Amino acid sequence: MSVVLSVRDVVKTFGAVRAVDGISFTVQRGTITGLLGRNGAGKTTTIRMITGVFFPDAGSIEWLGSERDARDRIGYLPEERGLYRQMKVKEHLLFFAEIKGCRGSSVARSAERWLKRFELWDKRDAKVEELSKGNQQKVQLIGTLLHDPDLIILDEPQSGLDPVNMLLVRDLLRELKDEGKTILLSTHMMAEAERMADDIILIHKGKIVLSGGIDEVRNSFGKNTLHIDYEGDGAFLEQLPEVKRAMIVNNAAELSLNAEADPQRVLEAAMGRLRIRKFELAAPSLEEIFIEQVGAETMESIR
Amino acid sequence: MNKMLAVIKREYLQAVRRKMFIFMTLFFPVLMAALFIVPSLMVAKGMGGKKVAVIDGTGALHDSFSHHLEAAAPDPKKALSGGNRGQLPQSIDIEYADAHGRANLDAASKPYLDRLYLDKKAENGLDAVLVIPANAFEGSDAKMTFYSRSSTDLFTQERMASVANRAIQRQRLTGRGIDPNVVDTLTREVPFDSVQLSRSGQQKKGSEANFIIGFIFAALLIIPSFIYGLETMRGIVQEKSERIVEVLISSMSPRELLTGKILGVAAVGLTQVTVWLSLIAAVGAFGAASALMAGFDISQFLRPMVFVYFALFFILGYLTFVCIYAIAGAACNTDKEAQQLVAPIQMVMMLPWFIMFVIITNPDSPLSVALSMAPVYGPITMFVRTLVSEPPVWHILVSIAVSIATIAVFFYVTAKIFRVGILSYGKRPTIPELWRWIKVA
Repeated sequence: MSVVLSVRDVVKTFGAVRAVDGISFTVQRGTITGLLGRNGAGKTTTIRMITGVFFPDAGSIEWLGSERDARDRIGYLPEERGLYRQMKVKEHLLFFAEIKGCRGSSVARSAERWLKRFELWDKRDAKVEELSKGNQQKVQLIGTLLHDPDLIILDEPQSGLDPVNMLLVRDLLRELKDEGKTILLSTHMMAEAERMADDIILIHKGKIVLSGGIDEVRNSFGKNTLHIDYEGDGAFLEQLPEVKRAMIVNNAAELSLNAEADPQRVLEAAMGRLRIRKFELAAPSLEEIFIEQVGAETMESIR
Repeated sequence: MNKMLAVIKREYLQAVRRKMFIFMTLFFPVLMAALFIVPSLMVAKGMGGKKVAVIDGTGALHDSFSHHLEAAAPDPKKALSGGNRGQLPQSIDIEYADAHGRANLDAASKPYLDRLYLDKKAENGLDAVLVIPANAFEGSDAKMTFYSRSSTDLFTQERMASVANRAIQRQRLTGRGIDPNVVDTLTREVPFDSVQLSRSGQQKKGSEANFIIGFIFAALLIIPSFIYGLETMRGIVQEKSERIVEVLISSMSPRELLTGKILGVAAVGLTQVTVWLSLIAAVGAFGAASALMAGFDISQFLRPMVFVYFALFFILGYLTFVCIYAIAGAACNTDKEAQQLVAPIQMVMMLPWFIMFVIITNPDSPLSVALSMAPVYGPITMFVRTLVSEPPVWHILVSIAVSIATIAVFFYVTAKIFRVGILSYGKRPTIPELWRWIKVA
């Protein structure tokens, strides 16, 4: 595997706020890297520096292994959608390709292919403002991909998409990865990152708190998390001495245990009062790790 | 470079497809012409239908008030320049009442004055009543009285006064035994023409038409700059508020983007001017002929140099304004904010328009010369000067040079503010903050 993008000691300050405070990471070719963090953690600022929207105050961002102008190699889907409302769909897509240096009949054919795939071909001459929000997002996504970028940077690509379209995007990202594209995916949806990412970078308050391959990261936290499905009232599980932290939702509990705690004791306690359907000792979920790292006070805001 | 072309193309195509562009291009010149020509026609024609009763205490002036000017068709040129002041224009309808020998002139005029209050459309309605006292010929303290419903109808009032006075003078002279024909000969007015003598020795006629045409051209020159300037500003604000700018800036430099936008808008302006000038050229001959019939000689305004200067100063003025609006757009986040920011600036930019009267009537005064060579004000003032006068070539060259320098400076400043402002989504910056942006970017 080769490194496509290398970010080194990057700093960006807005007034008194250090939005990004010395971040370094690399992105490997042909992988999906998840850039995780709460809203305001510094994800979007980091991405804006990579796409050249902001200049870093310090540090460097390097592109490796290509002759093309770095900017033209990126496909960038910004966090909030950016489309000209008055332009027609196909015209808009061709404009996006043109500002990336792609024009001509091959781009037009490619646009047709994408529009058909996303079921927008019959809307190709409609104005952007006439489309539904979900369709506008699909247009934006096509605009990100139309010039066949090597590195695809997606800032919260699934926000606002319905489950069907989320699935569509998920499949698409896997497919792009199989084609050898590199994807940097910023999200605060841990479950989504867990499904998609090969590598994760967890940012909190402008700093990286955790990074690496997703399995490697999870396993480094040891198998100290209990997943229990049950019938009955499980609220008491949170009070058990072995349990450090609990997430209990709809008859399912994810319990992170104190070090040295014996899972068996928890099972005994639970069996006394609940009907257990599933009991599993596993590595913690990304969400659990995230909370562990950035503090429980953030739980409410990420759910 | 190709990216900039993409931006130019997009800006251009989006702008010319708008209804606003089509309206401005096809109807605006007509609208402007109508706006200035119709009122002057109205002065001549719409004023018609004025009914004035004359209560003549002397009983000797009947002939003077029954005799109208010869022109059957309304003549705006004469109406404006006020030739033949001693005669009644067609538009004033006289009802003559001989009140000679009536002891009480007030009683005699009472029924007429009552009719002043009637609805104008009513059969017997009157617009004004002129009362001439019986001692008008001899009395040193004799006074005529003009009653009317509107004190502002100075044209009718002044014309009635001069017609009555001429008639009275005529009567006084004939009363001393002078032959009426001799009186007419002696008091005949000498008409005059105004002729503008240019350096090239060419003679131009008709300064009152210069005035109206000057205004029309000035409006054609200045108003599109404001309208497209605002469009540019709103376009930039929209790109910011809808975050399109992020995609754009991740693909090209802010300077490329700004240059593309401004060139695109400039191309729109050029298209507009080209259409206007071709329209004028196409209907020019016809227009000149019909204008001549209406009393205007506009052939002098269809000189090729007028077209050249118009195109030149249009583009210079236009680019200056567009840069100013682009700064406002880059600095603000909402249309409202941006409009608040440009509103005072706009008033300052409008200065030549507010004093257009002075510029047109005194095109070579120190004020006009200074304005025509000043930044921002130069293009419109200089164009109007070339239209109604013949400024020295060096004035024109200085004006062009100053305008180009202004645009260059504005562009530089705009690019700086654009670089910082376009991605700052905070509140509107203050002027000191803007100044800092210029320095840091």
